[in-house]
Amino acid sequence: MYLEIKELSKSFGERKIVDRLSFTLEKGELMCILGSSGCGKTTTLNMIGGFLTADSGRIYLDGEDITDLPPEERPVATVFQSYALFPHMTVMENVTYGLKFKKIKKSEARERGLKYLRMTGMTEYADVSVQSLSGGQQQRVALSRALVTEPKLCLLDEPFSNLDASLRERLRFELKKLQRELGMTMLFVTHDQEEAMILSDRMAVMDSGVFVQCDEPRNIYKAPASDFVRDFLKPDRILFSEDGSIMKKISE
Amino acid sequence: MKFGSSEKAKVIRGKVSSDTFFRVFSERADRIVCYGLLGLILLFILYPMVCIFIRSLMGEAGITFGHYAEVWGKYREYLFNSVAVGVSTAVLCTLISVCTALFIYTRNGKLKLFLLGVILVSMVAPPFVSSLAYIQLYGRRGWITYRLLGLSLNPYNAVGVVLMQSISFVPMNALFLLGLLARIDTSSLKAARDLGAGPSEVLRDIILPLLKPGIYVTLLLSFVRSLADFGTPVIIGGRFSTIASEIYLKIVGYSDLETASAMNMFLLVPSIAFFFLYRHLMEKTGMLSDSQRASSEPFSLGLSKCRLMGAAVAAAALLFFAVMILQYICIFASGFMKRRGHGYVFTMEYFEELMRYDLSTMTRSVIYALIVALVGTFFAILFAYFTEWRRLKGRSFFDCLVTIPYMIPGTCFGIGYILAFNHEPLKLTGTGIIVIANMIFKQLPTSTKLCTAAISQIPRAQEYAVRDLGGGRFSVLRDVILPGLRPAFFGSFSYNFSTAMTTAGAVIFLINPGKKLAVFKLFDAVYSGEYAVASLISMLIIVIVLVVEGLVYLLSLKGEKRNVS
Amino acid sequence: MKKRFLAGLMAALMAVSFAGCSSDTAETAAPSEETTAAAETAAPAEETGEETEESSEASETPELSGTMKVVATSEDYVTLFDKFTEETGVKVELLSMSSGEVLSKLRAEGGTPSADLWFGGGIDAFMSAKDDGLLEQVQFDAASELADEYKDSEGYWYSKGITIVGFLVNEALTEELGIETPGSWTDLLDESYQGEIVMSNPAVSGTNYAVVNALLQTMGDEEGWNYFESLNNNIAYYGKRGSDPLNKVTSDEFAIGISYIDRGVEATIEGSDIAIVYPADGIPWVPEGVAVFKNSENVEAAKYFVEWLFSNDDNLRMLADIDKKDGLKLIKPSIEGIELGYDTAILMKEDLSLFGSERDAVLEKFEAIMGDKAEA
Repeated sequence: MYLEIKELSKSFGERKIVDRLSFTLEKGELMCILGSSGCGKTTTLNMIGGFLTADSGRIYLDGEDITDLPPEERPVATVFQSYALFPHMTVMENVTYGLKFKKIKKSEARERGLKYLRMTGMTEYADVSVQSLSGGQQQRVALSRALVTEPKLCLLDEPFSNLDASLRERLRFELKKLQRELGMTMLFVTHDQEEAMILSDRMAVMDSGVFVQCDEPRNIYKAPASDFVRDFLKPDRILFSEDGSIMKKISE
Repeated sequence: MKFGSSEKAKVIRGKVSSDTFFRVFSERADRIVCYGLLGLILLFILYPMVCIFIRSLMGEAGITFGHYAEVWGKYREYLFNSVAVGVSTAVLCTLISVCTALFIYTRNGKLKLFLLGVILVSMVAPPFVSSLAYIQLYGRRGWITYRLLGLSLNPYNAVGVVLMQSISFVPMNALFLLGLLARIDTSSLKAARDLGAGPSEVLRDIILPLLKPGIYVTLLLSFVRSLADFGTPVIIGGRFSTIASEIYLKIVGYSDLETASAMNMFLLVPSIAFFFLYRHLMEKTGMLSDSQRASSEPFSLGLSKCRLMGAAVAAAALLFFAVMILQYICIFASGFMKRRGHGYVFTMEYFEELMRYDLSTMTRSVIYALIVALVGTFFAILFAYFTEWRRLKGRSFFDCLVTIPYMIPGTCFGIGYILAFNHEPLKLTGTGIIVIANMIFKQLPTSTKLCTAAISQIPRAQEYAVRDLGGGRFSVLRDVILPGLRPAFFGSFSYNFSTAMTTAGAVIFLINPGKKLAVFKLFDAVYSGEYAVASLISMLIIVIVLVVEGLVYLLSLKGEKRNVS
Repeated sequence: MKKRFLAGLMAALMAVSFAGCSSDTAETAAPSEETTAAAETAAPAEETGEETEESSEASETPELSGTMKVVATSEDYVTLFDKFTEETGVKVELLSMSSGEVLSKLRAEGGTPSADLWFGGGIDAFMSAKDDGLLEQVQFDAASELADEYKDSEGYWYSKGITIVGFLVNEALTEELGIETPGSWTDLLDESYQGEIVMSNPAVSGTNYAVVNALLQTMGDEEGWNYFESLNNNIAYYGKRGSDPLNKVTSDEFAIGISYIDRGVEATIEGSDIAIVYPADGIPWVPEGVAVFKNSENVEAAKYFVEWLFSNDDNLRMLADIDKKDGLKLIKPSIEGIELGYDTAILMKEDLSLFGSERDAVLEKFEAIMGDKAEA
């Protein structure tokens, strides 16, 4: 158990957003949390990232209780839906921003920044203002920026939802490859089933603040645990390959 | 001024249908509205300014530059004073404004609403009574400075002017900066925290750099406003004078309109220079405006964890709020306190006196202020639409022109109106129209700035979408621009309304004895030594302004909800 | 033809009614001369019957209508104007403005003024307006009864009262500071008052201009200017509004203010530690003007108002009552029911004709003195 979430709860006023949620994640594993908007997936992510304080429950990462740490002290990095790049900085300044706080020398920081920019194919833009980049390029920079600090856990909050379909597909593929290469533990929030299906080692379907089912994607599609999951995923629209892995979803 | 003619050509070539009819019609209406608006600006801003300029050249025997020579010879030193005060005020005021805005920005819930409320109330600064409250609190024998702290400071000097100007410019500036802060993508703050930055690093590395263009704008606007402000140096300057207060003296003491006009022209030189600098910087605020995808969910920064910087910000902001709250308590208290010997006793006497006052002027004030707020905001929206959205040629000229009333002392703008509109066929003096027009155009600089900033936020793609789906320019205005300007509408309306309720300097020369406004009732009370009644009248003005603003706010909320559902 | 006839009739009536009026007051006032208080209450009561008759006769003669717009120093005059409306049917609208503002507005309007009557304000502004040709000449019979020094020889302006100047002394403050209450102009030069005296810039305050001009006239130019140079060392600052000295003394900011003294001032300081001191070496004073704006919309009504005011002692007594001032006795010595509360001997000798003619030169010289002291 690399990441362990224990009985995590959060309410806004009367509304329970996350309700005694517990799950675990192994090192190097990528889990997608899939759910419609308002199901509590982003709130969960925000609590793990440290942007929201949980009402109750604990969060352990690599054996350490991080529940009460402020975001900057958690070995966690986030990639946001809106990229959240600093508009007044260049690509390199953005990417190496996190290294400043690790007391890393400028020259070394730049080298590390270049290394991660190379991984995302953004080396040639290193000294360009982030405002001149396209959406896909911005998200590559955001990914480099998150990974350069070598976090123990990387959180991704619908990172590709603002991009067009073909770009989204390409980035998914690149992300999966990068994650395998680095052995990075990732928690990926999305409302896009196809994305969850393709990326996930394990996939969690979330509704009303709890995981209604959490398993390997093909197991979920083959045996939905409830009517809700069946209605939500519509497994009869999924094509499976001979070895049982998922091929593709037939669009309506 | 040139419109794209391609569309018109298309219309003529296209087949005649009811749609074409509307297009031709709206094309023409569009032109009429645009030229009409620009015409009004020329008439009510440029023309009075030209009249002032002509007056400044009038000598005993024909045209002369003698007044300019006199001004240069005699008032150079005052120009230096003005610039020195302007720079100090700009720096101090910006510092306090930034701290106040940051402080409010980092609060949540009810406290935030309360602080915003204080800012809104302090936008309503009734003349005379506010300065009286300052002196009661911080004067040589002030409650705070002398009785509480045991200091006997003499505020009647340049330092007093700078302090009082700074405090009184903060509310407007803080609101402006808050608008910019609200546009910052909060997820970029989260990202910084996530990458290891503590709260104070987020402040230093992300928020302040992003606020930089806004800070420049605040600096410049405060500087220009300080140059034109005559009230503060007149009230608290003591032996210290600025160009603006000398202009006031020239008008009220010497009735020397020619020299006063020349001094005005003199004052415009640095102001216009700074205006173009302002425009240049304002274009840079665009970097914040890429906010289509921005997340604006609240994110608490935890200022208390920002160490020294956080403490400094909180200290400056709390000081400002304390000053504001004390000021209003002081105004309120002087309406119910009576001096007896060395102490004070509570009394309802003044309140009863207020009840006996003829307050019909209050109704007129409210009506005028409503007209000013609605028409002024409407003009500002149209102006922003034509200059910022349509980017008509000559817009920098008109933008500069529309800013001029901000740059000159109010009394002069009033005198300019008499010079301009006292002869047939444009005889407006003595009517309500001239008073309303004066208020609208005196306040237009600020309302257009608010609307221009908001309009630059609207994604242009929305216009293309409407046009694409067959809508004309009018549909764009109705379905894209106006909904996008709703927050600016509220801001501009509030500003116009509260200013119109309290302004006096410019309109004293224009008001007809039979059509008095509530502010003059307040002055009458002051002149006859009834400060308590004056305080109560100003409280009444404040309450009315808040009620009207509250209603408008509720209406705008209602509109928004309807849009969402 | 008709007009001339009317005018003739009016003149005749005026003469008759005026004669009637003055003999009338003489009669009623004579027996109760020992007790003026009784006379004051008794006289109007007895007169009213006859007077309304007379004034209704008088008011029929000029054909007045519409609205008369008035710029005045205070709203308190509204009862007087109400009476005018009652008797003539002319509606009155009142706006208070300082005389400097009025003059600037007049000049900007360039001969088409938006008000008809100017009521109150330091006489120097009226003199200046006359020189600029902005005032209308008003002649009426009763004018001959007004003392020459308080009216323009050509009838461009008249005086509706006299404002006197005194010291306002915050005694709580003088006690605290350990300084004596000053009793005279020369006292003000004492070193102990340094930085504790506030006066208004004579350019904006008619009364403080009167101080400068009167003291110069009394002391002579050389001694006078020396006086102001010394006084300058003690002055904290010169207010840019006429009410500054009053405000600063009442809010405990400065110990001594050189200020106009009138009913409003008395009301303001009531119940506080502020005392009014009339300087022993002479009280400067300034007449408050009344004038009609040339070329105004309802010039006839305004002209008639001036005549109406000065021809009927009841109106003047009402005015004196509003102002709580008795200076009208100096302006119209024949008036009964108003007694001077002070000996005219303590008023400084002032040649008003110098007020207007010397204004620019005096202010310029004064400005130089004010500038001498470096900014605090």
